[in-house]
Amino acid sequence: MTAQMVFLAFFGVAAVWFGIVVFRTRSMVRSALALLFSQTAIGVMFLVMQAEFLGVLQIMMMATEMSVMAIFMVMFMMDPGGMGEMNMTHQKRLSLWVGGIGLLAALAVVLLPDWGLVATSVPSAQAQAEDLGRELLSRSMLIFQSAGLTILTAMVAATMVAIVPNAEQRK
Amino acid sequence: MILELMIALSVGAGLFGVGLYGALSQTNLVMIIMGVELILAAALVNVVAFWRYLRPDEPAAQMFALIIMVVMAVEMAVAFGVAIARFRSRGSVEMEEARELKG
Repeated sequence: MTAQMVFLAFFGVAAVWFGIVVFRTRSMVRSALALLFSQTAIGVMFLVMQAEFLGVLQIMMMATEMSVMAIFMVMFMMDPGGMGEMNMTHQKRLSLWVGGIGLLAALAVVLLPDWGLVATSVPSAQAQAEDLGRELLSRSMLIFQSAGLTILTAMVAATMVAIVPNAEQRK
Repeated sequence: MILELMIALSVGAGLFGVGLYGALSQTNLVMIIMGVELILAAALVNVVAFWRYLRPDEPAAQMFALIIMVVMAVEMAVAFGVAIARFRSRGSVEMEEARELKG
C-alpha cells in the first residue's frame, strides 16, 4: 500500500462524506460549508494525483464559489440556520433509489472494464503547466476561447435576469 | 497503481450518487444547485484520474478538466441569476411553488 493510495482514499472518503453531510444537515450555512470541505478534499485529491495546477485552481475556485453560495443561503432561505425544523425535501424514497442505482451503475463502470496498463510517473509540475499552456494556445485554443465567451455570456445573462426592470422597461 | 485509479473512480461514483440524490430530493433551488455541483465534481475527479493513471502525457485531459470547471462556474452564475429573479417576483426559491413552469 503506497502513501498515494492512503491519502487518495482518505481525502476521497472525506469528499464523499462531506457530500452526504450537505443533504443531511438542516442548517443551510452548514450545507454550504460541507460542500466547501467536499470540494477542498477533491482539490487535495488532485494534489495527491500530482495535478498541482488543477488542485490549487480547484481549491481557490471552490473556496470563492462556496463563500458566495453561503451568502446566497442566508439571503434566500426561509430558515438558513435550520432552527425551525423545516422539511425541504420531497420524493425522498424515489431520490434514494435513483441515487443508489446511479451509484451502483457508476461502480459497475469502474470495476468491470479492463483498464490496461497504468502510468507510474507523470511529468513535473513545471512541464505540466508548460504543456497545458501550449495546449491552450494551439490545438484547444478555439475551445478555450469558447469557454471564455460562454462565461462572459453567462455573466451578462445572469445580471440581466437578476436586475429589476424600471417602470419604463416594464411597459 | 490500478488500485489508485479504482479508488479515484469509486470516489467519483460516490459523489455522482450523492449528487443525484441531492438534485432530486431537495425543494430549494440553491440546494438543487449543490447537488448538480457534486455531479460535476464527480466528472472532474474521473477526468483527472484518467489523465493521471492512463494518459499523463496528454495535456488535453487537463484542458477537459478546465472546461468542467467552467461549466460549474457558469451553472452557478446562471442559477443564482434565476434565484434572484425568482425571489424578487415570488419571494421564495422553493421549487414546489414553481408549478407554473409545468405549463
